[in-house]
Amino acid sequence: MIAAAFVSEEGKLLGWCANSVISADNLCFIAETCRSVLSANRAEQRPADMGVVAFGNRTLVFREGGHGLFMAYLDSPTNDAVLRWLFDQVGPILEAEGVKL
Amino acid sequence: MLHTALIITSQREYAQALRHELLRLGDPPARIDVELDALRATQLATQQYELILLDAMLESIDGLQLLLLIKPQAPRCKFVIVSDTTDEATRALAYQNGADLFLERPTTAEAFRSALEALEALFNPPPVTGPTLSADADTVVAIADIVQMFCLSGDSVLLAVRSQYQSGDIFIYRGEVYHAQYPGKSGEAAFRDMLGWNGGLLRTRAIKLTHTPPRTIETPYRLLLETAPGSPEVTAESAPIDGELVVVEAATPSDTATLAVMKEAPPRDDAAPVYFPDPRRRTGGETPLPRVNSHWMVNLSGDLLEGSQVSEPDRCAFITSFIFRKMADVAVALEVDYFNHMTLYGPHLQQVLVADNMGVRHAVFDTAWTTEEMRTEYVKWCCEQSF
Repeated sequence: MIAAAFVSEEGKLLGWCANSVISADNLCFIAETCRSVLSANRAEQRPADMGVVAFGNRTLVFREGGHGLFMAYLDSPTNDAVLRWLFDQVGPILEAEGVKL
Repeated sequence: MLHTALIITSQREYAQALRHELLRLGDPPARIDVELDALRATQLATQQYELILLDAMLESIDGLQLLLLIKPQAPRCKFVIVSDTTDEATRALAYQNGADLFLERPTTAEAFRSALEALEALFNPPPVTGPTLSADADTVVAIADIVQMFCLSGDSVLLAVRSQYQSGDIFIYRGEVYHAQYPGKSGEAAFRDMLGWNGGLLRTRAIKLTHTPPRTIETPYRLLLETAPGSPEVTAESAPIDGELVVVEAATPSDTATLAVMKEAPPRDDAAPVYFPDPRRRTGGETPLPRVNSHWMVNLSGDLLEGSQVSEPDRCAFITSFIFRKMADVAVALEVDYFNHMTLYGPHLQQVLVADNMGVRHAVFDTAWTTEEMRTEYVKWCCEQSF
């Protein structure tokens, strides 16, 4: 994992970790951009709550819940099994903080 | 001379500072309005302004999307996008959406001074110092010749092009055609269209470029001019003589009436095909297209090139183009190349987008019966098709 972040509905970065290349501001910007994509799809009657974007061998995963948007930037390709595993790990951690995706 | 301007921003202090500076530009002082609420700005009569300065990112709306919304209402107004970031994707998108100028938000006195100079140049463009062209003349010329002349001289100019009914811009940077736009279209398609306007004989005005324009056209100018439909063949005889611009008759003047008839498809007496173009004529790979609800493809200018079961083509093209542009912004932020493919998971539908450097394919699947293999197969199918 290269970076992970959770951004509240108001666009506030509530928690994050990243290598030195990606700044907190950038993570916020990316989260807002991902949110706008999900929002645009809702407007087109094709609601989606999760997106997976492959940039070469790296993957950006984002998932929107009632409390905000979780985002992870991985240094590997993914498949459905990897995504399930990821959210099996992340889900309890977020739930412990009162956040349900 | 500036008479009326509108600043649309979410930043009050910046708005006040900029307003103060802009007031100096007009003589008598210009009327400078400030709107801090972007949604309210959409209600204003924007056509009353000569200049609108618009933040790229506003609190309640994307400024670049707002630009798309209000630009058609005020075609004579100059639009300036002010951004906190100067990444190329935002700059390109700003120009693609119709901005006349892209500025980094000034924060120092010196930056304000530079910004004001750029704004002044927008209203009082300096004369072109090209080898043969007098810029102040709004002269009827063979547009292909003018493009060739500036490209040959390695100049950087904005060619404002005007026919009887339409107007547009061609950006030439260091001897290459970088970008072209007119309301509703941009990129290479816009350039080719403009070369065909009025048989290629158009009024043009050249403005010296003071900034690097976005690059939406990669094709070398020679190839563009050689292959432009309806444009005259560029010959040595059509070059300017003794530094004067001359009206050159097109070698093969296009008959617009004939073109109009030829462009219209003949009436069909059979049912329309599900696909266009016919997939049986494809020379793609061996992977079959998996079962999808609908799928389509757009080029990088956002034009729908082909599709299947596409109920609202314009909306489909828009959303694909929108997602692609947004992900281009993300790619810039992550310092990686554009995305290869993307999957959006929804309760009822899943979507897969596959991009290369020529366009984006977009498919919609039913979540209920879609498997990972089907999505993978679609990505593979896309890769085997030639964009």
